[in-house]
Amino acid sequence: MRLLQVSLRSLLLYSLILVVISVPISIFSIRQIINEEVDESLALHTDQFIKHIKSYEYLNDLEMDLKIWDQLSYDIVLTPADGMATAQKYETTSMYDSIEQESHPFRTLSSGIIIKDKSYLLTIRMSLVDNDELVMALGIVQVVLVVLLTTGLLLINRSLSRKLWKPFYDTLSQLKAYELDKGAAIKTEKTNITEFDDLNKTVSHLTDRNRKVFLEQKEFIENASHELQTPLSIFQSKLDNLMQISGLTEAGAATILDLEETAQRMARLNKNLLLLSKIDNDQFNEVEEINLSKLANALLANLKPMADLDNISIQTSISPLSITANATLTEVLLTNLFHNAIRHTTINGNVIVKITDRELTVTNTGNPIKMDSEKMFERFSKEGKSVNSSGLGLAIVKKICDTCQYKITYTFQDGVHTFSVSF
Amino acid sequence: MKLLIIEDEKQLVKSMAQFLRQEGYVCEIAYTASEANEKILLFDYDCILLDISLPDGNGLKILEKLRENNKTDGVIMITAKNSLDDRVKGLNLGADDYLPKPFFMPELNARISAVVRRKRFDGNNRITFQEITVDLLAKSVMVSDAEIDLTRKEYDLLIFLLANKNRVVSKNAIAEHLSGDDAELLDKFDFIYSHMKNLKKKLTEAGSEDYIKSVYGLGYKFTT
Repeated sequence: MRLLQVSLRSLLLYSLILVVISVPISIFSIRQIINEEVDESLALHTDQFIKHIKSYEYLNDLEMDLKIWDQLSYDIVLTPADGMATAQKYETTSMYDSIEQESHPFRTLSSGIIIKDKSYLLTIRMSLVDNDELVMALGIVQVVLVVLLTTGLLLINRSLSRKLWKPFYDTLSQLKAYELDKGAAIKTEKTNITEFDDLNKTVSHLTDRNRKVFLEQKEFIENASHELQTPLSIFQSKLDNLMQISGLTEAGAATILDLEETAQRMARLNKNLLLLSKIDNDQFNEVEEINLSKLANALLANLKPMADLDNISIQTSISPLSITANATLTEVLLTNLFHNAIRHTTINGNVIVKITDRELTVTNTGNPIKMDSEKMFERFSKEGKSVNSSGLGLAIVKKICDTCQYKITYTFQDGVHTFSVSF
Repeated sequence: MKLLIIEDEKQLVKSMAQFLRQEGYVCEIAYTASEANEKILLFDYDCILLDISLPDGNGLKILEKLRENNKTDGVIMITAKNSLDDRVKGLNLGADDYLPKPFFMPELNARISAVVRRKRFDGNNRITFQEITVDLLAKSVMVSDAEIDLTRKEYDLLIFLLANKNRVVSKNAIAEHLSGDDAELLDKFDFIYSHMKNLKKKLTEAGSEDYIKSVYGLGYKFTT
């Protein structure tokens, strides 16, 4: 649920409760006010009546006049009262309206008065607002209010989430697409909302710093690999000098050979590390049309002598396939897969290379691997203790597949390892 | 034959010079780009070994300068970077070869021989040693005027050994020369052994003396 929807929900709920509570309170208080006003008015009328009637006390036939007047007037009832004059009494009564043909609430004030020593009960009444009508009117007003409030809030909410939250969503979508190893930095727009500016600043700072660390690390690997090549050259050249000395013992010669092999291994390790960091640096971005079938055949032909040594047969089923890719990366990809297959094939085993429509499959017979097959693609993970393996071959394969968006899968079944690359 | 080594790493220069002088080359040395610029204008060399990354400038600039002055010295670029970009640039600027560090001395020697040969004889050349004659254009080998049939690998092996006469050439250097990156698959050196055995057999059967000697388990030596 979106943040604004949550806040909107609370706001709407609060408004609705307020509206619902406000209806009875309004009705009650309006009635109260009207009653008070009417009561005041009734009291005033009564007072006026008593005052004025006194000035007519000289009339002889007042009693008769009062009777007639009582019949004529609607809101004032004057009835002779027997006994004691009662105190003033307010009442709300209902009376039948013959024209509208319905009951109407009235407020009455009854007070006992004495005219010419005779007790009368003076009842003055005033029409009140109909209860039903009042509830109806208020109800309508409140319903309209609720509708206006809800639609208004929804509309404001929608435009707010579009306009106000735009910078937030912009930043979010950039963060989603952000990849540390890709060049583009996060670009944030200046907003006039403090929180968003804060967020943007923090995000930019964080990504910039991460990127800097990442680049430094990458550069370090690259530089370290470069710098090691020269000392290795010196080492190798000195070994060559040593070899030329006459009177070498057999043990000495074996040591020199071992040292030279070690130097070569280190050189290969360096080369592969450099390759990995170059792929990371996106230095292989030039693509061209590559005849994969031709390349595979050529590489396998070179490898045949090596395979023959262990009596490994290489079988191929290669149909024509051309892909658009970087030449270096493609060659490295194939070479590493083939090398891996040959290296891990048992003596007298076989390697099968198949190229079908957009897929390359390399299978080889061999012992089941002991390590987790997921781990196989990690750097420096080696099966067994092969001195000549750098442990980077499959890591490079994986890196190339990730970079070029090829899908690589590995399966092992019935003593056969299978690597498939879908282009 | 005169060589110029342009390389800032003194230890490496020392070994290279020592090795190449033994091979009968006259070696001059430039440790910086400015030294190199001076030398290439004053003298002509048969081959220049050029390190691309120098403390005071890019080696490619030296290459440009060489070509601007219409110098035809052979150039082998030597670099720690092994980047395709530099390689293409260098070769476009007229470098003859490209050797990534680290390299084997016999490999360097073979490359220098090839460059010098191309420059001297305009590519139309033969290597002759006693009764063995190699036609580099036809890629054919003759022993006492009778052609012998060698495989591609055996042919490469012979050229490599001929360029490194009277030196011990290690199995590693041979394996790398013959198989390049695939050499890392060679857990054992049976591969070289079988090629070497075949080469020796073909040469001696054709009446050549057995010049190729095995040196302990280390490598081989073409002795004269």
